[in-house]
Amino acid sequence: MRKISKFFVAGFLITSGIFSCTAAYQAQKVQYNDYRIATGAKQDSSILVLLKPYSDSLSKSMNDIVAVSETDLEKKQPEGSLGNFLADAMLAMAEKSYAVHVDAAFINSGGIRLPSLPSGNITRGKVFELSPFDNLLVIQKINGKTLQGFLDHVASKGGWPCAGVSMQIKDKKAINVKIGGAALNESTVYTVANNDYVANGGDDCIMLRAIPQVSNGYIFRDAIFDYLSELKKQGKKISAKTENRVSNAE
Amino acid sequence: MQNRRKFIGQTALATAALLASRTALAGIGGEEGVKKLTILHTNDVHSRLEPFPMDGGRNQGLGGVAARAELIKKIRSEEANVLLLDAGDIFQGTPFFNIYKGEPEMKAMAAMGYDAATMGNHDFDAGLENFATQLKHGNFPLVICNYDFTGTPMEFKYQPYKVFKKGGIKIGITGVGIEMSGLIPDNLFGKTKYLDPIQKANETAAMLKNEDGCDMIICLSHLGYKYKDNKVSDEVFARESENIDLIIGGHTHTFMDEPAVYKNKTGSDVVVNQVGWAGIMLGRLDFEFAGYKRKNLAKSHTVVVGKKTME
Repeated sequence: MRKISKFFVAGFLITSGIFSCTAAYQAQKVQYNDYRIATGAKQDSSILVLLKPYSDSLSKSMNDIVAVSETDLEKKQPEGSLGNFLADAMLAMAEKSYAVHVDAAFINSGGIRLPSLPSGNITRGKVFELSPFDNLLVIQKINGKTLQGFLDHVASKGGWPCAGVSMQIKDKKAINVKIGGAALNESTVYTVANNDYVANGGDDCIMLRAIPQVSNGYIFRDAIFDYLSELKKQGKKISAKTENRVSNAE
Repeated sequence: MQNRRKFIGQTALATAALLASRTALAGIGGEEGVKKLTILHTNDVHSRLEPFPMDGGRNQGLGGVAARAELIKKIRSEEANVLLLDAGDIFQGTPFFNIYKGEPEMKAMAAMGYDAATMGNHDFDAGLENFATQLKHGNFPLVICNYDFTGTPMEFKYQPYKVFKKGGIKIGITGVGIEMSGLIPDNLFGKTKYLDPIQKANETAAMLKNEDGCDMIICLSHLGYKYKDNKVSDEVFARESENIDLIIGGHTHTFMDEPAVYKNKTGSDVVVNQVGWAGIMLGRLDFEFAGYKRKNLAKSHTVVVGKKTME
């Protein structure tokens, strides 16, 4: 008994004295929980108060209905209806704004910031969410060889929204490329619309960096608004679908 | 004399029993007792201050800072040791940002009591000067160890790491950002220098471990979870890391079903988690720590991921 006591006393002193200063902790176990923040959950009233002035001011300008969509539009790769709608808008408005024939228009997949757009009324705010960046719509004259290189890059990224073009993706390369229905010719110079982020080499589009841009300061989001107001004037709704512009080769 | 000896003996036995029972109750090893830490985290909130509108969209009704704040408040009332962290892309995605340039996002984060955040590529979107200006409203440290902001408006507005003490646990938090070139327009990042995230994070973690004596090291990462090619990602980073216990990720908007666990360079477990985007989810990780005498610390250790707790 006496020996045991001494042993414990020593242990106790050591534990509470020297070693407590040099105790270290190691993570051994972790429990997890991902809470879904959903409607109906209790809200912090002080945060609602904080947001109110911003939110009230925004709702004055952002809740207008700018278009009606016939169908649910989806962002997808290699091709999706949402991307087709936006690429069509880019091509049409590039031609109108720059008064030139535009052979092809592209949008980087990462440039579309909503995964989908439900059918029905589209608010002004929704278009801001879809295209929040103040990127400009620009034009470049690109020879067929460089364009093929750009399309190979697009293929390696899984396919981007485009208009005026059809292609297939095989081994991360673009094959069977057609521009305006005709096979891509390496020596032809094409007029191509892009946003300036891509034209400046964004999303690793280094092949476009050195090519001169024509730019009149037209923000791509404003081009979308203009396209939608044209549709509205004509009494039309958004009706994009997928149509094998970009597909994966068998 | 006999009484005194008996008293000391009994006290020692009682203490030993107490220590043993603490260990036994927790069901995990350790000589110095068990400690708990709750990590709450978000990433890629992208200015989603209000829930997605009820327009029939996929995410309708989800997200929103007011509901998140209430949940955070509740968890803080239940847990003693909580850290609230964000892995970047606070900005860009709703008209709030187009009009107010990040002010309400930062004010909301301050109100929720964020402890630290790192920087995402879209946090550059309105320029570095704007980010530095808005950061003042956030009232949290911006941690990043692989961006050198010398000569930019962010120069004195960030720190490579920060050490926190929570309930007897010392936690070092650092952050890593994604390569800017090819992703962020040159004019937006300006003179910012991108440094190797794995090398910088390992250097920072080694210092936090060996010099600051941190028990846990967390890296907030905006590298992205994983890629098809060999581009640096959280997966690559976790495997090549050393001394880092947890990577809170972002950029790829990945909704993970459960945290992933990787073996690092020295065979220790690294937990990686990411919670999608837009504040649709709040991530929660409840860590249990076992205490050891420092000299007895295992060179490598494992972390067991328990079942998902009920909401």
